[in-house]
Amino acid sequence: MQLNPSEISDLIKKKIENFDLSAEAHTEGTVVSVTDGIVRVHGLSEAMQGEMLEFPGNTFGMALNLERDSVGVVILGSYQHITEGDTVKCTGKILEVPVGEALLGRVVDALGNPIDGKGAIDTTETAPIEKIAPGVIARQSVDQPVQLGLKSIDAMIPVGRGQRELIIGDRQTGKTAIAIDAIINQKGTGIKCIYVAIGQKRSSIANVVRKLEEHGAMAHTIIVAASASESAALQFIAPYTGCSMGEFFRDRGEDALIIYDDLTKQAWAYRQVSLLLRRPPGREAYPGDVFYLHSRLLERASRINAAEVEKLTGGRVKGKTGSLTALPIIETQGGDVSAFVPTNVISITDGQIFLESNLFNSGIRPAVNAGLSVSRVGGAAQTKIIKKLGGGTRLDLAQYRELAAFAQFASDLDESTRKQIERGQRVTELMKQNQYSPMSVAQMAVSLFAANEGFLDSIEVNKVLDFEAALQLYMKSEQSELMSNINATGDFSNEISSGIRTAIETFINTHSW
Amino acid sequence: MSEQATLARPYAAAVFKRAKETDTTATWSQSLAFMSAVLKNEDISVVIDNPKVNKERLSALMLDICQEHINEENENFLKLLVHNNRLMLLPTIAKLFEAYKAEDEGYVEVEVFTAYALSKEAKQNFTATLEKTLGKKILMNVAVDKTLIGGVLVRAGDRVIDGSIKGRLQHMQKALQ
Repeated sequence: MQLNPSEISDLIKKKIENFDLSAEAHTEGTVVSVTDGIVRVHGLSEAMQGEMLEFPGNTFGMALNLERDSVGVVILGSYQHITEGDTVKCTGKILEVPVGEALLGRVVDALGNPIDGKGAIDTTETAPIEKIAPGVIARQSVDQPVQLGLKSIDAMIPVGRGQRELIIGDRQTGKTAIAIDAIINQKGTGIKCIYVAIGQKRSSIANVVRKLEEHGAMAHTIIVAASASESAALQFIAPYTGCSMGEFFRDRGEDALIIYDDLTKQAWAYRQVSLLLRRPPGREAYPGDVFYLHSRLLERASRINAAEVEKLTGGRVKGKTGSLTALPIIETQGGDVSAFVPTNVISITDGQIFLESNLFNSGIRPAVNAGLSVSRVGGAAQTKIIKKLGGGTRLDLAQYRELAAFAQFASDLDESTRKQIERGQRVTELMKQNQYSPMSVAQMAVSLFAANEGFLDSIEVNKVLDFEAALQLYMKSEQSELMSNINATGDFSNEISSGIRTAIETFINTHSW
Repeated sequence: MSEQATLARPYAAAVFKRAKETDTTATWSQSLAFMSAVLKNEDISVVIDNPKVNKERLSALMLDICQEHINEENENFLKLLVHNNRLMLLPTIAKLFEAYKAEDEGYVEVEVFTAYALSKEAKQNFTATLEKTLGKKILMNVAVDKTLIGGVLVRAGDRVIDGSIKGRLQHMQKALQ
């Protein structure tokens, strides 16, 4: 839109007219020292914990240490121009970030400023980055599913709306891949996604954005990026920023999914800030409150009841519950889940998806370890059909694992053991899934049904995926009515069961793979 | 600086308590001011920093310089500071002492910057208004600062009340950005 000069001067005039010209009273202090983004300020006797402080050059900081004679402040952004003796003003506000629908489809930094070159974000609403999680009365139990679109996860480790499910594994085990598939699969479900990238390479972030755009998933996604080149303070607050943006949707009776990729790096950034603030180091040099750092963040992911939504929206939204589902990611070193931060986050979350590098390297992708992965609340939220059909999968795999080690030594096995091993091999094969190809409930149901009912037993192990692909293609083209029926209700009845059975039988008799 | 204040606080508190007991806050205030002024002298700070000068010589020197202006208790205090290697804290102690004194007497020191010199009447009015806003008696230092363009800037400790044209322009600049 082109503005002509008179319009511009009108705009300015209006702004000046509305300008509040009362004498401004504030509290001031002076910078005493600047060290690696940490500034000590003398004065500021009225500063609050977490308050935004204004430095010269339109720079802001956050008060983290309130001491008797000084305040320890982290600078949010670049601190090169700050020198000893600069004046620092209190703003009287806790750090806030913009929130709202307008952020969807955008890439923002940890302070909510757009960094995607698409211009200013059209929203007036802001929210403080630190909020107390909803109380006991405001909550509702988790009973609706979030479909991640991955067979192995949705069948065995289901995630519900409002749950916190940890994705944990070594580097290069496909943690981010699961998160990205989860976002892509939320297209058209109404679940808004927030992807918080902490301490990642800018190129990786750009890749994620491009992949999401390619799959049309950016429209329902906000990306909060605090890359490795940004200051530790920004990496530390980025998850809280993302969480506030997610809470906006939750508090309006909508559903949101937030991914923190990853919280290990956030803990590192917080450790850096804390050590520079001279807080005493504890285990692995983390400060004493590193547990609270993650617990207060993850506690904000929750499902709230309709009454609370009604209260929060002032009665505009009635009869709808809101939820914020969190998928935090933790990177382990050499599979060591007993390190400090992994144990903390495991104990905070409602279950974990455990990824293993040897599974990944042997071609099982997603490299989910079905034995160590659990979902403590998701079972109640699973769709009926997946719950019914997926239960067998878990059992098959558990029995297979038990026998597989044993079977390596025994040459001749009895019939039932051999069958179980063969079933296990086929189910393991079936759990493989390509990246960026999430499946619908009906597609998963058909695959799981085929495994459960023994249709795979006569197929060679290395042909299982080909068989599945051909079957899915057939179901899509020939049985679309049945498929959409399953997708719509998610129920499992005799009618649907026999429908799938006859469809698979027809397919086997008439098609090749 | 912050660490200095932490170190100096117990000394200042002790001195103030003693001064209250003996009702000599005014004399203490004067002698502390004098001693801090002495310490600001470059030659003196060189002597203090010099490790070859032992404590006896240093306290003798300090007492010699200050003798006209200090009483016996001040002398003891000075010796104590020298003994504890805290002589350089004196200016901070003096500052904190003044703060304690001000708090006790119920007034605040206020620095006022104006673009133009205030008339006597305006000054009185202004003092009355400020005392009302701050809720305390004030000790006003007025200075003229032409860069303010117009209006006044009041600084009472950490609190700043900015009613100057310069401040408003800066405020407006930010709002229009």
